Amino acid sequence: MLLAVSVLLFVVLRLIPVDPLALSVSPNATVEEIEKIRHEMGFDRPIVAQYWLWLKGALRFDFGRSIYHRESVASLIARTLPASIELAALAILVATVLGLAGGLTLFHVRGTRKEPVLDVASIAILSLPEFLWGLFFILLFGVHWALLPFTGRLSPEYSMPAARTGFLLLDTLLAGRPDMFADAMLHMILPALALGVGFSPAIMRVLRSSLQDVYAEDYIRQARLRGIGEVQILLRHAAKNAILPALTLMGVQFGFLFGGTLLIELIYSYPGMGNMMVEAVRNADLPVIQAVGLVYCIAVLSINGLVDAAYSMLNPKLRPR
Amino acid sequence: MPLLEARNLSVAFGPGAVPILRNVSFSLEEGRVLGVVGESGAGKSMIARTIAHMLPPRFELAGGEIEFRGRSLTRLPERERRALLGKDIAFVPQEPLTGLNPVLTIGRQFGEHLARLSVPRAARERLAMLMLESVHLRDPQALLRRYPHQLSGGMCQRVLIAMAFAGDPGLVVADEPTTALDVTIQARIMRIIAEMKQRHRTALVLITHDLRLAAHTCDEIMVLYAGCVVEHGPAKQVFGEPRHPYTRCLALANPSLSGERRELVALSDHMPGLTELAGIAGCRFASRCPIRGESCEAIEPQLALQSPGRRAACHHLDRVAGIVAHAASALAPAPAPAAAPVLRVEGLTKRFSEGRSIFSAASRDVLAVDDVSFELRANEFVGIVGESGSGKSTLARLLMGLEPPTEGRILIDGRPLDPADAGSHRLRIAALQMVFQDPQSALNPRRRVASIVTQAMEAGSRRATWTQRLERAHRLLGDIGMPEDSALRYPAQLSGGQRQRVNIARALCAVPRVLVADEIVSGLDVSVRAQLLNLLLRLKGERDIALLFISHDLTVVRYLCERVLVMYRGGIVEAGATRDIFERPRHEYTRRLLAAVPPDDLNSRWAGLEVPADEIEESA
Amino acid sequence: MIALASLDWRAAARSPRVLIGAVLALAVVGCALLAPWIAPHDPEDQNLVASLLPPFWVEGADPAYLLGTDGLGRCVLSRLLYGARVAVYVAVTASIGAMLIGGTLAHLAGYFGGRVDWLIGRAVDVWMSFPPVVLSLILMVALGVGVNNVVLAIVLVDWTRFCRVLRSEVVVVMHRDYIAAARLVGFSHLQVIVRELLPATAPLLVTLLSLEMGIAVVVEAILSFVGMSVEANVPAWGVMIADARTTMYQTAWNIVLPILAVFVTVLGFNLLGDGLRRTLDPRLARGA
Repeated sequence: MLLAVSVLLFVVLRLIPVDPLALSVSPNATVEEIEKIRHEMGFDRPIVAQYWLWLKGALRFDFGRSIYHRESVASLIARTLPASIELAALAILVATVLGLAGGLTLFHVRGTRKEPVLDVASIAILSLPEFLWGLFFILLFGVHWALLPFTGRLSPEYSMPAARTGFLLLDTLLAGRPDMFADAMLHMILPALALGVGFSPAIMRVLRSSLQDVYAEDYIRQARLRGIGEVQILLRHAAKNAILPALTLMGVQFGFLFGGTLLIELIYSYPGMGNMMVEAVRNADLPVIQAVGLVYCIAVLSINGLVDAAYSMLNPKLRPR
Repeated sequence: MPLLEARNLSVAFGPGAVPILRNVSFSLEEGRVLGVVGESGAGKSMIARTIAHMLPPRFELAGGEIEFRGRSLTRLPERERRALLGKDIAFVPQEPLTGLNPVLTIGRQFGEHLARLSVPRAARERLAMLMLESVHLRDPQALLRRYPHQLSGGMCQRVLIAMAFAGDPGLVVADEPTTALDVTIQARIMRIIAEMKQRHRTALVLITHDLRLAAHTCDEIMVLYAGCVVEHGPAKQVFGEPRHPYTRCLALANPSLSGERRELVALSDHMPGLTELAGIAGCRFASRCPIRGESCEAIEPQLALQSPGRRAACHHLDRVAGIVAHAASALAPAPAPAAAPVLRVEGLTKRFSEGRSIFSAASRDVLAVDDVSFELRANEFVGIVGESGSGKSTLARLLMGLEPPTEGRILIDGRPLDPADAGSHRLRIAALQMVFQDPQSALNPRRRVASIVTQAMEAGSRRATWTQRLERAHRLLGDIGMPEDSALRYPAQLSGGQRQRVNIARALCAVPRVLVADEIVSGLDVSVRAQLLNLLLRLKGERDIALLFISHDLTVVRYLCERVLVMYRGGIVEAGATRDIFERPRHEYTRRLLAAVPPDDLNSRWAGLEVPADEIEESA
Repeated sequence: MIALASLDWRAAARSPRVLIGAVLALAVVGCALLAPWIAPHDPEDQNLVASLLPPFWVEGADPAYLLGTDGLGRCVLSRLLYGARVAVYVAVTASIGAMLIGGTLAHLAGYFGGRVDWLIGRAVDVWMSFPPVVLSLILMVALGVGVNNVVLAIVLVDWTRFCRVLRSEVVVVMHRDYIAAARLVGFSHLQVIVRELLPATAPLLVTLLSLEMGIAVVVEAILSFVGMSVEANVPAWGVMIADARTTMYQTAWNIVLPILAVFVTVLGFNLLGDGLRRTLDPRLARGA
């Protein structure tokens, strides 16, 4: 699967009409010098050979060197990926909590007059993409009421702690600096909130429809006929059944969410992998684009894999006998 | 004091307060069994819902009272009423497979129920195992750890029955508890319910559409029609000598398993639905009643005491005995079958591979159809009888080319069919046409009836004009007994029986030689079923058409077909003339099938109720 | 076409969501079509003297520039109107393109099953391993800037969404006996797909189309925000937002107005799509 993905990436990128070297060599370089660099980077070989070369390197985690940064791509990714993961993880938490709460509320008010109001509200939230939520929050909480910071990861008076795990939040705690931890968290509130709010309505709506489907089932009626109370029914009988179809969608949404970190990082000047990707795209820095694209795919596939595993665990019909 | 008493219970629907149940009164003593008999839409499930006080949205109690041990069920505060459910009043559902939560083990669900019955935690598992044993489930300890999808329908139903009786309830309400199950399982389940009732001294309300079943299992029968009680009395008397015309028609609309073949009494039309009820002033049965008189449509008859314990609501009770079924001679005589068979099947086999599981090396194959061979001549009606898993539906699909056979041949007029060849496909559909089981799914809801029945005229390159099709549609609809104006209607506007007729008409459009009918009367009401069966017999007399009638219902097959094939686990275990098979069955399975049907003669015991305790366990 | 005609449009027209959604969407389309006539200024016309003017309801506004001006003195209203042209063009063409590709493949996969289904399913899986934002960015790098390339990129990314959702629906409809019955009556495969299958999946198709238009507007806005969408001298809402970020502290209106434009457009399409789903889907409105 990954193989297919990487092939696709490679093919797409090789269609670029832009000469990837044009940006990184100085205008005074002679033709021979350009040719030398081209040969070094392997751009003069046939496309299949180029792919094979790249694949061999990739298996050793050697993704080549960035044309723009003149640094190994692998180290660039190692620096920025953890930051993106932290942001995505926090945002997933926000989205899940909001999504579950919203879904339960939407379900609770079904049939009442409040339902269409809340329903349209969820559609409205859905209509603003996450990057616009990001800008909106900056305007509201950052500029208008200067409550929360919205640039970078730490306030200027702090310097980065020793990178023991690579994850800033963990590193600040390990370095025994709870004040830095708090500062880092503050910086993450707005971006994570923007991402989470942007993706929560989808979860809300699928949970609501899933609960509606479950409550129409026979076994819920039978449970009521045995005298079981509504709270028990919701918690013990309905919840587990309703979560299953919602899980599949949540997996897909979380994949999109990870992609959404790209824009949020751009807007909040957050030094994550997405920010780097945007830069690479603007500069046509092929090795970076390829490698980061692959990493995004790995992330999506991992998230989907986790969700599938959770699904089989929860659904007894899928467990081996 | 009676255990359960209803007085003039009425339930109405919607803003117009259309009466769904009208003045229903009955009283049930401890330990007695009341059968509530009626067709779909009669309101029998509504009675169960009223007892539970769980009416569907927009249905409301419109009057009357229903009391349990002297306390009003409808006026009880929510908490007290809920306290009764599961403990004093328990319910057994119609669909056992969906009645249990699929993500919880049997043990968890039973445990939760026992917790509610205030059984101490330490005793719960033992009590659950005890109850499961009492419903003849083997290895209860392992069963508690299984999930519902690992059990068969019959096993799930036993679990639900065990749960229902676990609290020693005073009353159990069973709403069509055997309808979704196979015939041989039905009898066993009824037996288990009877045993449990005996042991726990419980009163039972059995809701069913099957009058014969009720006659064998209940003490009293109450017959409902369009929400009103039309007859009420001791079970055997109501079945043996019905006083009300509807009950009598119902009894005569059921084909019998033994005795002389008589034409079924088929009432025209169908029971009035919600929309039609509002407009009826007098007797609700009047429009279909064969002994209808002048006062019937204006004045509603009251349920009056005819003799001790017998009540019936009719103005013309004296004429009821005149409703008789005509003798078999009135049935269309079968024309002599031709010499060469139209359809011939040789060694037909279908194997489905279930794929490999990671835990076993061999792949699990399911042999759905196992070396089936038979012949069908022109104008012959042949029945294929079997329960679920017998392979009869797969056989139908193989015949129609919807699945390719793994082995074997199908020959039409001596020419073998090649599943991959387009010419064979044309030959096949020119000779064979199929009538599908579920009329809801078999008719495209976006097409009008005329468009559906003449769909064959739309195929291929030569398209007929709308006028031509309309004309053909009118003729076809006339053949199957439907009014001309139904041609422009949509399926959603038709009743179940009408849809099934449209299904048949569509199959007839291409003038096939053989109709393959897969369980086409299974979901229909008794009176509607009788209409369709008589229709098929009429078609036999009018045209040159053979019928392959697939069904699990032996009585229907006996009525309709001159030859029968009995299928079990993919193979034909017995084949022969109908009379031979039914009077002198040779195979063990055939005998079991016959024993499972409640006999017509009330004095003979129902063999199915007495299967010994060490019966063959059903496999999941 | 018969499939579309068979839908219950009258029921749809009675739904408030459909009406409001349609009104919003049509308003935006109207702005887009009429922009050359109703825009007060040329959207690229710079007037450095009159830069960063606020909209007319704030003090210090210039009535010549109803909604104010941006950092280079360009009229915000005109730029919004012309930006609508880009948004609507992309929305309509990209969603129809994605529907045609995704829909055709979905019906083929669902109808024929077996290997065809497997192949198309695997292709969709591979494609959907990319977060759409990332994939569209990468495609734009490969294709180069330009509005038609944006449309192509969106079609190449979003056909998978159509395909996956529609395929599930096709599989459900295939289980209905009337599909098999049509084959038995002599219909060819094409006839079955067009006359029996399509009318059944049409409601979902129309709903997805409407929702996709909203998604396309968002993707275009993202791409132009990053600078990978239209050419340099073409106004687009995303570009306006990106430009306004630098002047966010001085006047928030420059960034709020294009955000609002995106919001209103997407809301319109979403409401329309939701309303259509509720009224056209016979399962929800009672039927087969």
